[in-house]
Amino acid sequence: MADTGTLEQDQQLQQLRALVNKQYKYIDRKWDAVFWISAAFIVGAAANITLLLFAGDWDFWTDWKDRVWWPILTPFALVIIGSALQYIQWLAWRFPTGMTYTGICMWFLSTIGRWLQWGNFVWYPLNFVWGTTMVPAGIFADWVLMKSKSFIITSVLGSAVFAFAWWVSNYVMIAPYLQPAQWMDRVLTVSDIQGIAYIRSQTPEYLRIVEHGTLRSFLGETQYVSIVFGMTVTIAGYWIGQFIGRMLAIWPIGRFMKKW
Amino acid sequence: MKKRLALILLAGFASTLFLASPASAHGEKSQEAFLRMRSIAWTDVQFAGGTVKDGEIYLPQGQKMTLQGTARLMDTWPDTLAAGLPRIGYINIATQGPCVEMLARTINGVSAPGRIEITKGNFYHFEMTLMGRRPGRWHIHPAFAVKGAGTVLGPGQWVHVERTSAGFSSPVTLYDGKKINMENYGLNVVWGFQIVGFLLGMVWILYWTAGKRNPDGSPKGILGGKRTVTNPAVTLQIPLNDDGVAVGLNSKRDHRAVNIIAIATAIFLLIGWVYQASAYPVKIPQQVVQFEPPKTDFDTAPTLAKVDAQAAKYDRDSRQMVIEVATTNVSDSPIDLQEFTTSTLTFAASHGSAIAPGYYLHDMKVSPSGSIQPGQTTKLTLTIDGNSFVEEHLVPTSESQLTVAGLLAFKDSAGKRSFAEIEEPLRPNYHD
Repeated sequence: MADTGTLEQDQQLQQLRALVNKQYKYIDRKWDAVFWISAAFIVGAAANITLLLFAGDWDFWTDWKDRVWWPILTPFALVIIGSALQYIQWLAWRFPTGMTYTGICMWFLSTIGRWLQWGNFVWYPLNFVWGTTMVPAGIFADWVLMKSKSFIITSVLGSAVFAFAWWVSNYVMIAPYLQPAQWMDRVLTVSDIQGIAYIRSQTPEYLRIVEHGTLRSFLGETQYVSIVFGMTVTIAGYWIGQFIGRMLAIWPIGRFMKKW
Repeated sequence: MKKRLALILLAGFASTLFLASPASAHGEKSQEAFLRMRSIAWTDVQFAGGTVKDGEIYLPQGQKMTLQGTARLMDTWPDTLAAGLPRIGYINIATQGPCVEMLARTINGVSAPGRIEITKGNFYHFEMTLMGRRPGRWHIHPAFAVKGAGTVLGPGQWVHVERTSAGFSSPVTLYDGKKINMENYGLNVVWGFQIVGFLLGMVWILYWTAGKRNPDGSPKGILGGKRTVTNPAVTLQIPLNDDGVAVGLNSKRDHRAVNIIAIATAIFLLIGWVYQASAYPVKIPQQVVQFEPPKTDFDTAPTLAKVDAQAAKYDRDSRQMVIEVATTNVSDSPIDLQEFTTSTLTFAASHGSAIAPGYYLHDMKVSPSGSIQPGQTTKLTLTIDGNSFVEEHLVPTSESQLTVAGLLAFKDSAGKRSFAEIEEPLRPNYHD
């Protein structure tokens, strides 16, 4: 009986292998290119809208990119659409590409947006309004999925690695703007000066939600507490993305296919 | 029918092009009149610098101008704004983005880069130094933002920022003495890091999506040579936690490839981290500046007059506003009414003096016209041409609170000024 079972399994494997390499007459590689390129706009826009919804100002201005709220909210917001894409692309193609794909689409589109809208139309200097990047963090999250083949492990380990790598990669870019300077009789960071000098008429300074100080100072190491907390909420964000991928994308498509 | 429909759509689209004009204001008149009159009164607002032609300022890029004045946070502050208790404020300018750059700002003589703690009934004298940045014609207002309420704008001024051949730069000196240009400082780090990260991501995606394959499915070059659209026929038949190596969807080569790219990414991040640590050894968190400004001379000056508004009438036909105020001189020298300020408008008595940008400064008739003697109570009648009220949308004839509020400025024989608030229900005539 065991031999019969193994034989059936081997036959099934051979059938699947043949299916993998089957030559299709009309569905060729050009369709792949059409899909990847056209989906880039939808994916990039969805990721950017989600980011703006949850972490808008933190992603917009250097003087909002602080060490307490920025590392919590931004990876949480970024991981949502990346997670959905990760599920869809793994389910359909077994590609560990969803997070990286989301990252490059969003970065490309949002960078054009910053340059065109905020740089050319409104004249904010781009060094004040540059957007975050999730590409290096996405590569690590996809790598964890490829290695673990498990969405549960990816949600815990991959999300944590994602949030940490996101912080490292973006901290390098904010570093020049955290240098102190004497300005208006105060010691301020370059990013603070940018926030005051470049007029934002409808964003009074008191709306800026950055580190205000707290008695729960954790020996002054609030940054590390925020990073760890950011890793935790990113896990939650990952499962929101999984819900979007499974219930709002794949499940309705399945229902549609069954019906028609 | 289709042609007609297309013509109508085209005509509609064309009409929007011809009728639309560029926005040149900031909605300062859109807020309800009673809210503006009861919240903040602007006095002594002055724009200085550049060259003045036809009432508009011409300022070359990189040159400075100043904007100063005094904002009074009215005791009549409405309960509907910030729960009736304004606590945190921010004095700034309102204009079309960063067309000028803020170089310095003092409030009541103290440098104030950030927010301030505010109290109803206090005066806030501001002085802002601005530098022309973006060429164009811009409308600039002082603005007083109050947490929980919103932003109230003061009198505006047209400013032409003129392009210069030298362009624009914004120098700042860092803690270590290094001079930077804020217009492009740090951009090489931002772009360099973003672009290299993007390229790494592209390598990852191209590996999985591009490259030619042999008939047996093996890749021809260094890329993965994979297909996507046809894969679901296979992937839907294997478990979700199966990477498809057994059926040829993926391979050990793919695992090696992702390992290499992940290691390259880790090295890239490590290099970036070491670079920022060595290039920018001193970093501090973003600063939050908040303080309570000292009181102004206006806050501490002895009161010259006690006032009691008794009537405020508005004639819709002649657009004439008449306000009657019983005024008692409580000082020991004769006093005169100099001005009436409400929201952005300032009305100068015929024998008085007042400072405001031309568009916002108007005359008013005060009777009786003589000085009020110490201890004397006089009923002053202020007659104001209401056209400026109408233009500024400050006649609340169709609002939920028919009221007029503002500041009266008195001056004694020694030249000392004192302000007194009035608030009185408005009685417009509604006859046809």
